[in-house]
Amino acid sequence: MEFDVILGNAARAGLGPQAAIFALAAIGLNLHFGYAGLLNFGQVGFMMLGAYGTAITVATWGGSLWLGIPLGLGLCVAFALALGVPTLRLRSDYFAITTIAAAEIMRLLIRSSPATELTGGPFGLQTIANSFYDLNFLPDGRFGWGTFTYSSNQLWVMLVAWILVCLCSALVLGLIRSPWGRVVRAIREDEDAVRSLGKNTVAYKLQALAIGGVIAGLAGVIDALQQSGVGSENFEPQVTFFVWAALIMGGLATTVGPVVGAMLFWFLREGVESFIREFSGLGWLPDGLAGFLDGAEGAISIALMGIGLIALMALWPQGVFGRRRDLHLGT
Amino acid sequence: MSDVTTVRPEVTRAALEAAPPGRLKDDPILITFGMLKTFGGIRAVDIDHLEIERGTITAIIGPNGAGKTTLFNLLTGFDRPDRGAWRLDGRRLDGRAPHRVARLGMVRTFQLTKSLSRLTVLENMAVGAQTQRGERLERALLRWLWRGEEARVEARARELLDRFGIAHMADEQAGTLSGGQRKLLEMARALMAEPHLVMLDEPTAGVNPALTESLLEHMRALNARGVTVVFVEHNMDVVMDISDWVVVMAQGRILTEGPPEQVVANEEVIDAYLGRARDPAGGGEAGEANDV
Repeated sequence: MEFDVILGNAARAGLGPQAAIFALAAIGLNLHFGYAGLLNFGQVGFMMLGAYGTAITVATWGGSLWLGIPLGLGLCVAFALALGVPTLRLRSDYFAITTIAAAEIMRLLIRSSPATELTGGPFGLQTIANSFYDLNFLPDGRFGWGTFTYSSNQLWVMLVAWILVCLCSALVLGLIRSPWGRVVRAIREDEDAVRSLGKNTVAYKLQALAIGGVIAGLAGVIDALQQSGVGSENFEPQVTFFVWAALIMGGLATTVGPVVGAMLFWFLREGVESFIREFSGLGWLPDGLAGFLDGAEGAISIALMGIGLIALMALWPQGVFGRRRDLHLGT
Repeated sequence: MSDVTTVRPEVTRAALEAAPPGRLKDDPILITFGMLKTFGGIRAVDIDHLEIERGTITAIIGPNGAGKTTLFNLLTGFDRPDRGAWRLDGRRLDGRAPHRVARLGMVRTFQLTKSLSRLTVLENMAVGAQTQRGERLERALLRWLWRGEEARVEARARELLDRFGIAHMADEQAGTLSGGQRKLLEMARALMAEPHLVMLDEPTAGVNPALTESLLEHMRALNARGVTVVFVEHNMDVVMDISDWVVVMAQGRILTEGPPEQVVANEEVIDAYLGRARDPAGGGEAGEANDV
């Protein structure tokens, strides 16, 4: 068995644009849940708005990409307000239910036939990222070695994505270390106590929701740029739960947790898939089972990761960077 | 009950002490009119008129279910009454959200302490400060705008923690504090907001006798510095010891009010509340109340 191939594939996925996209979404979710205590199960909705806002501006309206990106991020702020204003006064479980429903309703609307003229419906939208790749100052050609060979444009999108990951991590760190962040973390612990001390907790929760949503929107923008297109099948509800898995693996309420968690998620996912491919290719398995495995690597990989995540929750609930003793200081 | 809503006749201390429940005070900091809160047919709070005298320590007593905590929730905006109006220093509070009530100078604590577990004790205190402009999102990243204030907040927090005897815990997470220390922290944190009126919901519940004594000292010291204190209490020794004025509630209404010695001698009060507490044979309900 070619372990170097498996490891190579895994590492490529762990460093790739998908990992960066997940890292951004997880950084936003970390602000929502890790710091503000908001149970957001609709993170993919923010990603979708960032991606579609950009794509519609460019592909449907023929506008500039540099107008489309702020528009997509603006939609994320609007979505945060639309979600938060009616529900953030209520108990947190109502908010959680609303987020998952709202994100999926939006996806169904986007792919519905009446919306086809605007969103491309089930076909999505294409060729949106030309002005982004025009900015690529890297020389043409291919770079790297072996598994880690990238085209100039691949390298460019990865470079931008990981720089954004660093900037957003720094932004959240700065906010959380400020008095604003102290109030936000206090709300996570006990909202009534914070209200009794003269803070407008609903406003803080809305702000945290909007900022984390815009960061997830950036993840969607990078996704659209990376594929130079958007499709509603990329924004199914499971994406939100993969981002949750990444965040929890990395460690809640930490700065590097969401980033390392996202890299680890893609490393493991691709590693397991690759392992199954290699393994079934060895010819050790009876034909029936090999045939079953062939083509099902993705599903099996997800199932194994689910089992792994359950084990992680039982044995290592704080994640890679979380502090174990925090878990015992429940509120 | 008296229906004194508009006219405020000149009152003397003697007239005050002879008056029925809902009496006028010389210099009320808090005035409540016609407050009603029902929970599905039950009148949880039904108060025609209540005044709290500025600069005093007022105890609110009454059996379980008398509406004491509900009254606290209503006055501080955590719950909305069916009707009623109340003013703090002449400013209307009815309809205001809890954070606005707190900003106007009335700060409460909770029966079940609400420490912010995964924040440090010092951070808990800092959340109580009202002057930190860095709490605004647009200034959060502009460190130079709030660094100076942050140092002042921290100094004040450390001084208060020192006074409350928990300065050695300042950098520990609040979740590691003992129950009594959390009570101290909650009271100290309320003081960070520099309130004119503090509302303490059972400040001594679940606290050992030594710490109770220390909490009472803090309440006296606070009062000596001009802060009006209102507190809910089940322990009659504490009430007799510390309060200037006692309001007795039963079934949502004010049964009577007056100086502590006078209230404990009141027949109605003995029937409604104290009698059972002092009677070892039938002391079930009131006895439990003392253990809360």
